[in-house]
Amino acid sequence: MPRHRLLRTLTPYLYIAPAFAVTATFGLVSMGISLWASFQHYDTYAGASGFVGLDNYRRALTGDDSYFWLAMRHTVVYVLLSVAGVLATALPLAMLCRRARYQSLFRTLYFLPSITPGVVLALVFYHIFGIWGQLLDSAWTALPALALLGVWAAAGYNMVIFLAGLTDIPRFLYDAAEVDGAGRWQQFRHVTVPMLRNTLVFVTVMTIIGSFQVFTSVYIMTSGGPERSTEVIAYTIFLNAFGVAGQMGYASALAWLLFAAIFVFVVIQMRVFRSRRVYDE
Amino acid sequence: MRARSWTSPALAAALALLVLAVVLRAGMTRALIARVTADGPPRPVQLRVWDWWSSSTNEEYGGYFAELEATFERRNPDVDVVYQTVPFSNYVQKLSAAMVGPTPPDVFQSSIIWAESSYRRGMLRPLNDLLAADAHLPASQRVDEAAFLPPAWRHNQTVDGTVFGIPQIIDAQCLVWNLDILEEAAATDPEIRAMFSRLEDGTVDYEHIRFDAVRDWNHFRQLIGKLAVRGPDGQLERAGYVIHAHGSGADIFSPWLASNGGHYQDLAGTRALFGGRRGAETMHFLARLYWTDRVCPPFRRQLFDRELFQQGKVACVTAGTWSGKDIVRDTMGWTHFGKTAFPPGPSGSGQRSLTWGNMLVVTTRCRQVDAAWKYVRFTCSLEGNLLRSRHLGYNGPRRDFYDTEQWQRALTERPYLSNVKQICLVGEKFRHIEMEAANHQANPVFESLLLHYPDVVDGTGAYPSVEAALAGAAANVDNVYRRYNEQAASWEAARDRATAASGAVGDQASAGDPARASDPGPAER
Repeated sequence: MPRHRLLRTLTPYLYIAPAFAVTATFGLVSMGISLWASFQHYDTYAGASGFVGLDNYRRALTGDDSYFWLAMRHTVVYVLLSVAGVLATALPLAMLCRRARYQSLFRTLYFLPSITPGVVLALVFYHIFGIWGQLLDSAWTALPALALLGVWAAAGYNMVIFLAGLTDIPRFLYDAAEVDGAGRWQQFRHVTVPMLRNTLVFVTVMTIIGSFQVFTSVYIMTSGGPERSTEVIAYTIFLNAFGVAGQMGYASALAWLLFAAIFVFVVIQMRVFRSRRVYDE
Repeated sequence: MRARSWTSPALAAALALLVLAVVLRAGMTRALIARVTADGPPRPVQLRVWDWWSSSTNEEYGGYFAELEATFERRNPDVDVVYQTVPFSNYVQKLSAAMVGPTPPDVFQSSIIWAESSYRRGMLRPLNDLLAADAHLPASQRVDEAAFLPPAWRHNQTVDGTVFGIPQIIDAQCLVWNLDILEEAAATDPEIRAMFSRLEDGTVDYEHIRFDAVRDWNHFRQLIGKLAVRGPDGQLERAGYVIHAHGSGADIFSPWLASNGGHYQDLAGTRALFGGRRGAETMHFLARLYWTDRVCPPFRRQLFDRELFQQGKVACVTAGTWSGKDIVRDTMGWTHFGKTAFPPGPSGSGQRSLTWGNMLVVTTRCRQVDAAWKYVRFTCSLEGNLLRSRHLGYNGPRRDFYDTEQWQRALTERPYLSNVKQICLVGEKFRHIEMEAANHQANPVFESLLLHYPDVVDGTGAYPSVEAALAGAAANVDNVYRRYNEQAASWEAARDRATAASGAVGDQASAGDPARASDPGPAER
């Protein structure tokens, strides 16, 4: 192969090499180690003390004192509340913001929660929920309250993404719909939503992944209570990994089960969306 | 001529190199600055000491560590003590990482929460040989068992007597009473008046509450009922006692269980013991205070016992013996409160408490054991206890501390300390095995029982009975202990194998090279 062609072929790989090295070192290698640890009794200091096969997975799925299914159920409820909440707030906010006079001001204001540390948000909302009628005191309201915080924190970021998607929709489609007699709602349903489909997929997938990993608010605000009503899977993983001596292997197994759950959710969702017509390509 | 762009690749590369050089030099630069700003000649021995007491966030800790360091370094001119503050909340994670990294701590303060498991994981050096070598020292400098109050010398050793830490504090759970409220009630109620000590002339000493002011649980219920105040509508205007249900079940349950003759766990850490009759009696007692007697404020996650107490909204709370100083600080100098132990329950005998003593430990990766031990010994000596008391206002775990003039003066200046030593002395051993994991299993059950006690008693709750709920929680905690002990046994076996292997290698090596035989090498870890 001529030298210049070889260089041309290699150049893109050289560009992505640094990012790939970081991802491989801190992502893939770590994942590989955690997969290996999930088949061991493993302690962060003492190290591995024996191959246990699928015991950690068996214990998580069928153990008498396992809270995996309970935590998974709470996590799924949280995910559903969050996805519904984010879609119900971020898109309307984006549409309102697009029409607003000081768009950049509103964009900045709504985006602020996204750049505020989760710990700070959790502490602030801990007190707000306390003042507003003890939402965190009841097993019925604690999880929805945490989801409310999650939606509030994520709405601004997703609004910006929707805003970008809305900007890409050609004006003439609305004009044509208007000429055809479509009202606001019909324009939204037959023009906006189909044209935002890719954005919707992105926002939904990212919200699902983020919500499955909810941790900070639970850790700070409820510690999984009251009565385990907010015990989510990431919290259970953290507790076993760092709060219990020698349970890193079990925690790794839980983490891989979480990975499998997210994977299944995302694949299902991608298939559902793929079955529709693509408008914006 | 075209101006050079700030975004030119050469300039960017030069800046990147500069940043890289600064990063690479950082450690050396720090060392250089330390050398330049050092008071005297460089010290050959550097001792890394970890603590969660933060000099940067608490002026008192700053003063304490400054004097401790200055005094110790003056007497040990070859040692440079370097403190590192690590937040309590992620102490264990950071410790685990540091212990396998290049800069492990030599000495650290260990909470009883992690001490035992840190030892069994192989992080802590046994101290028995160092203690034995100190037998010739004056009593005030020794840090052996005889020097400490018995309740302080518990969490720092295994059941077979291996000592892995030296207590530097002692704390105990107790009942803290608002003496303003008690004094007001005592004006008309002889039973409340009898809670106070008497002066030599026989008059009531309203500054001091008697250590045994409360006879038993029934007496406690009566007293708390009298101290609670209701408005015309029957609503509680001032509570008698606070029970915090959300997330902290074992904290309120355990000391009352101790006063009922029970224990959360066995000493060896193999079984949970709260699931029996004594545990059930304790839970019924606490739940009835709330649900039947209605002398407690409503269960609220955001309400903190001590805040309510400091605001005068409750007559009595559960707190640590150390809390006095914080109450004085938070109330801008109010000192009219007193402390007692927990009165005995129907299956208990005598006043009881729960006691613990956080400790200084020497790590297995300590490079300078001699310097580390000198530091531990100084910090935990009588002088170290007095120094800590002077800066931080805390009582010490040593016996001789309570005979000092400084402590007697503290008792005069701060009457709320009067029962502290007695409370510590009647303390049972605070639970100490895998506390987070045990809490994860048991606390939600305590929480449920307290929050829904009437439903459980009626048979319509999440559990068939209080007894069944506690037995189930105890069984799950048993699983925690079993797993932990299995793990710990495997770590110990692995270490034994490693030691045996390194011993065999050492034997071979020393046969050829006598100098290597005395070098402990990596196996020392």
